[in-house]
Amino acid sequence: MAQLELKGVHKSYGPVKTIHGVDLSIGDGEFVVFVGPSGCGKSTLLRMIAGLEEITDGTVSIDGKVVNDVPAADRGLAMVFQSYALYPHMSVYQNMAFGLENMGLPRPEIEKRVQRATTMLQLEPYLQRKPKMLSGGQRQRVAIGRAIVRDPKIFLFDEPLSNLDAELRVAMRKELSALHAEIGGTMIYVTHDQVEAMTLADRIVVLRAGRIEQVGTPLDLYHRPANQFVAGFIGSPRMNFLKGTVAAPGTIAIAGGRSLDLPAAAGLPAGEEVTVGIRPEHVALCGREDADVMIRLDLVEHLGGETYLYGQSETLPSMTIKQDGDCAATRGDMLPLRLVRDRLHLFDSAGLVRRAA
Amino acid sequence: MSGKAASGGIGDRFGGVLSAPYTLIMKVLDIPMRAVQNAIGERRMPYVFLLPNFLLFGLFVFLPLILNVGYSLTGGSKLYLSERPFVGLGQYATLLDCTNHLQPSTCREDHFWRGVYNTITFVVLQVVFMVLFSLLTAVVLNMKIRGRGFFRAVYFFPVLLSPVVVALIWKWILQREGLLNGAITTLGGEKILFFVEPGWAMFWAVFVSIWAHMGFYTLILLAGLQAIPADIYEAAEMDGTKKWRAFHRLTLPLLMPNLIVVIVLSLIKGVQTFDEVFVLTGGGPGTATLLVVQYIYETAFSNQVQNFGLAGAASVMLGVVLFALTLLQLFFARKGEKPT
Repeated sequence: MAQLELKGVHKSYGPVKTIHGVDLSIGDGEFVVFVGPSGCGKSTLLRMIAGLEEITDGTVSIDGKVVNDVPAADRGLAMVFQSYALYPHMSVYQNMAFGLENMGLPRPEIEKRVQRATTMLQLEPYLQRKPKMLSGGQRQRVAIGRAIVRDPKIFLFDEPLSNLDAELRVAMRKELSALHAEIGGTMIYVTHDQVEAMTLADRIVVLRAGRIEQVGTPLDLYHRPANQFVAGFIGSPRMNFLKGTVAAPGTIAIAGGRSLDLPAAAGLPAGEEVTVGIRPEHVALCGREDADVMIRLDLVEHLGGETYLYGQSETLPSMTIKQDGDCAATRGDMLPLRLVRDRLHLFDSAGLVRRAA
Repeated sequence: MSGKAASGGIGDRFGGVLSAPYTLIMKVLDIPMRAVQNAIGERRMPYVFLLPNFLLFGLFVFLPLILNVGYSLTGGSKLYLSERPFVGLGQYATLLDCTNHLQPSTCREDHFWRGVYNTITFVVLQVVFMVLFSLLTAVVLNMKIRGRGFFRAVYFFPVLLSPVVVALIWKWILQREGLLNGAITTLGGEKILFFVEPGWAMFWAVFVSIWAHMGFYTLILLAGLQAIPADIYEAAEMDGTKKWRAFHRLTLPLLMPNLIVVIVLSLIKGVQTFDEVFVLTGGGPGTATLLVVQYIYETAFSNQVQNFGLAGAASVMLGVVLFALTLLQLFFARKGEKPT
């Protein structure tokens, strides 16, 4: 277990800058997830921590020691790759033992460590099999086992569940959570899937275009996003965004809807264009007289336990509403909607959140 | 809009002119092909399409093969098989007649046995060094080096040359008054008679053969190296694997299917070698670089007494060896295809 600190970390490939000064501290035993859209630099950042990519500028420290020039193998880290990266010609046992042989450990110690990992990951029946003879989930477990046997200071996971089908992904997610609880090691996990991030992380780091947008606990990010990007990225289905204008201090006129009194808008000058955000579960069906906005239903998705309604109007963008499973609305209905006031998020013209003083 | 239409029209007309001969041939062939299809039915039509190739294969490969076996069972010096006396396995017995098979001078056909041992020496040296050099070259060309594309082309270039051209180029370099001796004398050394000294002649025969064919095998190994996923090496790096150990424990085993192809193909090609060594050394000095195929050629066509029967028997024996090697290659190729 270890602490990790990134200070002003930059990465450039020739003239192209991909990471623009990242500062981050990760505590002992923490499970931190880097999340962001494709190309945001999350994998690059992980690879720089691993020692597989050079650091253009800034420092990476493990337990207070700068490791910029320390080779990957000597940083005391272990990495699980998206493609598993198992050695295809070696058996499960050999895959796990290979790194330990490199460390020069005695044979009984190697056997003990592999045995412990295989028991933990329920891989005993497959020890003599080659990776080709294993399912995707089993291969991923071998890759995790290869990391565990090294007893690393920090575990690094680079989109480890991306190649698995949806059902297996959910199962493996639970296994990873249980593993973290059992081992208690510091783990850094990269994914583009915000559900994985929300379910696994102690803290989430949201990245965009090589910059950290926000760091926080999953619920922190969900309820108090720092900006419109984080608000849109975290949460599924994503947050609804409605365009509006500050009509008077503290009052927002929604394009195609009623004016809303929002204390968060108190400090904004009249006439400023803003965006009001509200999550699908915070939009309520109501009577016409109470409606903030009206939309025409384009699509109804009955998922059993819940129903998603999708609609829009001439002046409003597409909106998503989450309702109970027995919602009776049908396509073509005109729906009067009320936006739950204390759940509204206000973003200024720069996309930054505005909160009530 | 009209301009676009006009250019499209010109394009269509140009295409029409280009495809006119093709259309004409198709129209002419259409009539008899339809007649054949009506006569034999659609299901048998694939055999009609295979027939031309079968005919060519039969005429130029299969028939000569049968004739060769026929010649190997006959004696005398007449050309036509019908005029040659049947001698059974007599020619094979002549070839195999030795007091001590390890000493060609004790054999009735000592040149054949010298050819066999020379071929074995040539093939063993050639295969070993071919694999080593092409592996080394492929590994270097797989690295991120400056001008990688240029070097890949340079190493492949000799493969495009005719073996005779290759041999002539090297003959000009290596002969008594050649480029290499010129360089040696300029540097103050004494001329080396490369084609007079048996050891040197075999060395250069192997060297030139490797130079000429290495690009092809390098390409096969390079393809194999590029097929190894980069993340395996990254995983090995995280596992603290030293470079040599990564090569020995990861690269070599993962490259093994390609290495086997290279070994077996170079083995087959080595046994078949004739033209480049024949042009370079003529089999000399004496019989120092005489290979089996040259023995067959000379026995059948260039000796004063043209012994087709003996040459035929030697050909059949060589054919059996090549057939066995080909089976070996097919065995490994199929093994490589199977999931392990």
